[in-house]
Amino acid sequence: MTPGLPDSNPARRSRSRRSVRWLLVRLGGAAFVLWAVATLTFFAIRLIPGDPAEAVLGGPGSQASQETLDQVRRDYGLDLPLSIQYLHALGRLLRGDLGTSYALKVPVTELLGAQLGGTLLLALAALALAWLAALGLSLWSTGGGRFAASLGQGIELTSAALPHFWLATVLIAVFSTSLGWLPPVSTGGPTGLILPTLTLAIPLAGFLAQVMRETLLDTLDAPFIVSARARGESERGIRLRHALRHASLPAISLSGWALGYLISGAVVVETIFARPGLGRTLLQAVTLRDVPVVTGVVLLVALVYILMTILTDAASRLADPRLASAEATR
Amino acid sequence: MHSLTTSRARRGLGAVGSAAVLALLITACQSPAAEQSSTPVAGGTLTYASGDAEPTCLDPHVGGNYPQALIAGQFLDSLVSRDADGTVIPWLATEWSASDDGLSWDFTLRDDVSFTDGTPFNAEAVKVNVEHLKDPATESSTGYLALGKVESVEAVSDTVARFTLSAPDSALLESLSMPWLAIESPAGIARGMEENCQAPIGTGPFIVDEWVKQDHVSLVRNDDYNSPPADAKHEGKAYLEAIEWRFIPDSASRYAALQAGQVDVLDNAQPDTISAAEKTTTLAHIDAPRPGAANRIELNAGAAPFSDPAVREAFIRAVNVNDGIESLFFGSAERSYSPLSSAESAGFSEESLFDTDLDEANELLDSAGWTERDADGYRVKDGERLTLDFPVSTNQSIPAEQSLFEQIQATAKDAGFEVRLSLLDLSSWYGVLAENNYDLVSAPYTKVGPDVLRILYHSDGIVPAPSGYFANLSQVSNPELDELLTTASETSDDGERAALYDQAQEIILGGFHILPLYDQQNHFLLGTQVKDARAMPTVSTPTFYDAWLAGQ
Repeated sequence: MTPGLPDSNPARRSRSRRSVRWLLVRLGGAAFVLWAVATLTFFAIRLIPGDPAEAVLGGPGSQASQETLDQVRRDYGLDLPLSIQYLHALGRLLRGDLGTSYALKVPVTELLGAQLGGTLLLALAALALAWLAALGLSLWSTGGGRFAASLGQGIELTSAALPHFWLATVLIAVFSTSLGWLPPVSTGGPTGLILPTLTLAIPLAGFLAQVMRETLLDTLDAPFIVSARARGESERGIRLRHALRHASLPAISLSGWALGYLISGAVVVETIFARPGLGRTLLQAVTLRDVPVVTGVVLLVALVYILMTILTDAASRLADPRLASAEATR
Repeated sequence: MHSLTTSRARRGLGAVGSAAVLALLITACQSPAAEQSSTPVAGGTLTYASGDAEPTCLDPHVGGNYPQALIAGQFLDSLVSRDADGTVIPWLATEWSASDDGLSWDFTLRDDVSFTDGTPFNAEAVKVNVEHLKDPATESSTGYLALGKVESVEAVSDTVARFTLSAPDSALLESLSMPWLAIESPAGIARGMEENCQAPIGTGPFIVDEWVKQDHVSLVRNDDYNSPPADAKHEGKAYLEAIEWRFIPDSASRYAALQAGQVDVLDNAQPDTISAAEKTTTLAHIDAPRPGAANRIELNAGAAPFSDPAVREAFIRAVNVNDGIESLFFGSAERSYSPLSSAESAGFSEESLFDTDLDEANELLDSAGWTERDADGYRVKDGERLTLDFPVSTNQSIPAEQSLFEQIQATAKDAGFEVRLSLLDLSSWYGVLAENNYDLVSAPYTKVGPDVLRILYHSDGIVPAPSGYFANLSQVSNPELDELLTTASETSDDGERAALYDQAQEIILGGFHILPLYDQQNHFLLGTQVKDARAMPTVSTPTFYDAWLAGQ
């Protein structure tokens, strides 16, 4: 930092140094987690009984000849010792190469690259919708008297408990079959995104709203709110300007987890609504024992999860600077 | 819709009071509709919703399973086909003849056909295709097995391909009619597996344009098409401009999409939706049982307790299958009493062998030494419970069939059998079969023609393939049966061949080795705007060459 710039301020400099260190520690941790996930997946899949060469040939029912099996083992390096195969896999991974799908015979990075966008769009749309719904629901249920409180709680509990496959079927029955408003399977266009997004968002909204309402209620009793009330601020102003910021903190940190939850929910939703995506890729790959694809999806989901956690932590630090200073005094 | 308009018109015109005008109007209303239902219209895109697995490779030479066959027929032609009676008919080959010893076959080929990449179709192309199927690098299993007796193919001239066999093969023509042995462009094959899997090149009525994984395959019309099978309804190019072949795994969404008009045709229709569709006027149903073997439960005679024929017979006497089929399949499945599909003319059926009779089942078990019962009501011998392991593949058994197995489990209990059903994914299911950890099993197998009996019941089939899989799951080992099946596979005389297969099936049924259930289910539902779609009489896959969309 050049002297004379705002960063010459010692307090700020130490804060930004703390932030850099925080980020480096988190990135190091992320790399470690990815390595662990890759290693675990590699060996866990090998522990499952069954010959990977058969998976290449479409399963043990393929009745492949010995010659064909040998050929496949050579082609995919399956005749090498396991430790060598592991090192090869790690080496490829460092170069960003996830190998070739056993079943689809195309590079895994290409396959996942094509599917990632659809799933992320779905998950982020669902996350955004769930946040909006949860905010609305918790603000309404904490501000509308006892009736609103218990009704809101009921709605939260019910929607949080709805299984995706059931919800999807009901939404299709109502909005496609009966009303004819929305297509039952994906069209590639925006209308096809509505039902899958609702399916994922409704249970998550219930869950987020539960967390938000609890914090909101606690915050509304806090001394700083009491003093704000004493200053004569309107109840609505207090809720929107002060309480909400606090109530959103636990929900922000849950969002990282929620994205992981949404991607696993995508397995069901993408299958029912016939949307291409990571969830459906994973389901098919598991059924076919397509090891490189399973590993690829697991790594990608882990990566998204880690990045989201870092981002949500950073967002929490912005929303509540005390978190960062708490680290410094530790 | 139409009758509604007519009745409204009738009411309105009643006020006018002119019968002549009324008659005129009704005729005017009806004539376009009548015309619409009979004269094909060109154009339009048909949307097909497949509930089968998405193929991992569109080249049916690689691997060779049913999902590949479903779509391959739209862009690949075979050397021969079958008509509705099961007779082999010309397709890319116009004539064929075998030498007296059955070891050499000459196929005469059409000389006016080209692949969609411009490569001419000729004897050399046939040779390249057979070599491709037999090459281990192709990773073929169905096509490879079907060509087991074919040693080589030689291009005698451009239009004559000579097959040389290691032993006579009466199933050769039936094998060649299957989509897994369809003919592809040699130049297409030469591109290598990865590219050929994405878009195989054939001589078919449509061309693979694009494959968006887990979504759809786009097929566009081949405007130069001139090689339909001999039983097609028209000549020249297809009526449809394009087919969008979508993958919609969930059966409820698939049906909802058909109802909503989002798709025109679906496969893997479930019993409840078939029954619902049949009550509508907007949907039609094609019931196209697969050829080869019927769906059946195999009783593993290779290990106790089913190594004892009396126990096998007792099981078959004890279980009640018919009530279950009736209630669970809504009339969409008919009980079979034959090892072969009803699509096979060589099928031999013996209903009387499968009567339910609990008293007789109990007597048989008593005489076989299973006299005691434990506290739970199951029979016991030498301290061992009469337990039957029944692994079920959830990928291959639809929910209705799994419920049927549960009903079989319940009725078998009355005689003292404990049936242990376990629902497994495909790999685990193959795993327990390979370890011989089963007493009962239901496994589909599709092959054109009665030669499927040799694959399923010849004792050679007990020896596992290198992959661990063996096709003779009932583990029948009977020298007399082996002899019949081998002789039949080498007999070219149709009458003689049929008689041999009859005897073979009598042995299989009479020995209580299998419990036939129903045909391998292949049900398609279509919107009534789809005209002249049919299932190929080869392996019952759909073909849209003659199909057209009303209202285009």
